[in-house]
Amino acid sequence: MAEIRLENVSKVYPSGVKAVEDVSLHIRDGEFMILLGPSGCGKSTTLRMIAGLESISSGEIHIQGNLANEIDPRDRNLAFVFQNYALYPHMTVAANLSFGLRLRHAPQEEISRRVAEAASMLGIGTLLDRKPSALSGGQRQRVALGRALVRDPVAFLLDEPLSNLDAKLRAGMRRELVKLHRTLGRTIVHVTHDQVEAMTMGERICIMNEGRIVQVGSPLDVYLNPANLFVAGFLASPPMNLLQARIEMNDSRPILRCGGLSLPIPSVYAADSIPRAGTPVVLGIRPEDIYDREIPGGISIEVKIVAVEALGPETVVVCEIPAVAEISAKVGRSFTVPNGSVQRFSFDPSQLHIFDARTTMAVRRQQACIQSGS
Amino acid sequence: MSYSTANGPRLSQNDRSFGWLMTAPGLLALLLIVLFPLLFTVFTSAFDYTLLHRKYDTFVGFDNYLGAISDEYFSASLLVTVQFVVAVVILEFVIGFTVALMLNAVTRFKDVYYLILLLPLLINPVVVALIWRMFLHPELGIVNYLLSLVYIGPVNWLGDVRIAFWTVVLVDIWHQVSFMIILLLAGLSALPREPYEAARMEGASTIQAFIYVTLPLMRPVIAVTLLIRLIFAVKTFDLVFIMTRGGPGTSTDLISYYIYRSAFFGLNIGQASAISVLLLIIVLSLTAYLYRYMRSLT
Repeated sequence: MAEIRLENVSKVYPSGVKAVEDVSLHIRDGEFMILLGPSGCGKSTTLRMIAGLESISSGEIHIQGNLANEIDPRDRNLAFVFQNYALYPHMTVAANLSFGLRLRHAPQEEISRRVAEAASMLGIGTLLDRKPSALSGGQRQRVALGRALVRDPVAFLLDEPLSNLDAKLRAGMRRELVKLHRTLGRTIVHVTHDQVEAMTMGERICIMNEGRIVQVGSPLDVYLNPANLFVAGFLASPPMNLLQARIEMNDSRPILRCGGLSLPIPSVYAADSIPRAGTPVVLGIRPEDIYDREIPGGISIEVKIVAVEALGPETVVVCEIPAVAEISAKVGRSFTVPNGSVQRFSFDPSQLHIFDARTTMAVRRQQACIQSGS
Repeated sequence: MSYSTANGPRLSQNDRSFGWLMTAPGLLALLLIVLFPLLFTVFTSAFDYTLLHRKYDTFVGFDNYLGAISDEYFSASLLVTVQFVVAVVILEFVIGFTVALMLNAVTRFKDVYYLILLLPLLINPVVVALIWRMFLHPELGIVNYLLSLVYIGPVNWLGDVRIAFWTVVLVDIWHQVSFMIILLLAGLSALPREPYEAARMEGASTIQAFIYVTLPLMRPVIAVTLLIRLIFAVKTFDLVFIMTRGGPGTSTDLISYYIYRSAFFGLNIGQASAISVLLLIIVLSLTAYLYRYMRSLT
């Protein structure tokens, strides 16, 4: 049972800076959990507190059901993979891999067997005699992972392990880590600021901002149902379009007034959860939910094209809804129109997100989004 | 003018002459104040030149060198110097590293500690020696007074053959240990924290992490610090000159002081020059080793 439970954990540095505030999180046994957030959001500090490398100012951390607050990092039986690999530069790869086992005085044959196993699993069998300085970034990364593997810990803590790799290597390592997780079945807590990593690797994502947990859920769940404006604006690239609007009454029915546009409130919103008339709200619509054609049941809007960014597989169009705001839309790669031209785009109102502008929280839906519109 | 970027800048003849012209005054000054005395010493060491017979008319070749090497006072002085160098370097290293490790863990008032540690290093060695000669005076010194309060002593710090050597070592430690502390502390604070943390995560105790991670990572800094201190320790003169005059007997007769004695008491400038050249060769080879070691690190 390698579950990790954080209860109201906070970290306040002597300077008074609050790095982590009141974080409660239950990481299940064998789960691949991602801690995602912008730099300085406290995700690495949280991971380091789980590892025991950082003391806890208040709250409790339970590992395998035991209170771990005062347990020395060496006795937690967790493996930590550092962003810059933290290999021992004076030791060969083999010595790096076996260091932990040698400290525990494991029998020589067991050390050799486990090192060979980890090396073959990660494809670094031919590098065992080299020093870290003679390895490439990707190879170092593998050695750092191997060092964690040989010890057979109860859980792996990964602190942005892929951020120093180039894009191609990173994609490969992402898949390998997921495969490794499936093979080992061990709990993994992976810290990253990269949304692609978070979306593709995690079973659940815990999104943090300014030292607090903002939302925890499966990747698709947090993508489809962002809990607040921060998540809406942080996740995906380009992020959700956010437009200032206001609730108004029209024939005793609430509507959304967004600049010159007035939109009906989507039926997925329960009548009792709609804020009172006059309340400022923020409308969110994902660029991929905006179409360069009419769709059935869709709301049509007139836009003026500002810029067309052809990315290859898709095209991002930056356009202006006159007298409202600039938005971006993801359309097919065949989309080519001159800048400045006026086009008719449309969107599915059920994909519209409404946030309370004052609390920044999402307005409750009758049912959560489970699948994006076609 | 022609410049080639592929093989570094290639200067025209004109530029090269100008370069020589600009560096000439500096080179000339160096030649006069460094190279000339050095060559003159080598020259003198080959003559039977004494202050009673101040003429370069008796060329003796290597006789001064052979004479020095076969002189038992020279061997005694060499032995004292080796003992002194080994003692101060090892003791200062052990104390310096311990203090550096402790200071590395300190977060508050670090600057204050730095300042206090730097103070002895800022004092002129002659002044240090004078201060300690007063402190250690058998009857009037504060050290023996303090010891008398706990019924110890009086100790004849600088007059006892068995104690004087260690007294000089202790004063040298007081004066120079900060040098070690500051260099080693700079090395420690430049170490990456992650390998140490990785070792802790892998189950290393504080001491194991120190032995298997910190020490090996510190190896280059330690080597350079030891060598620099070694080179300076070989040349120690001021402390002995002020505090003991090499005595009692020859118990603190360091090689630099021995040279001074040969020249100005023995009046044998030729032999003193020969020993100076030998000392120079020792220091030079240590320096060359240090230089090569530092180059091998990069």
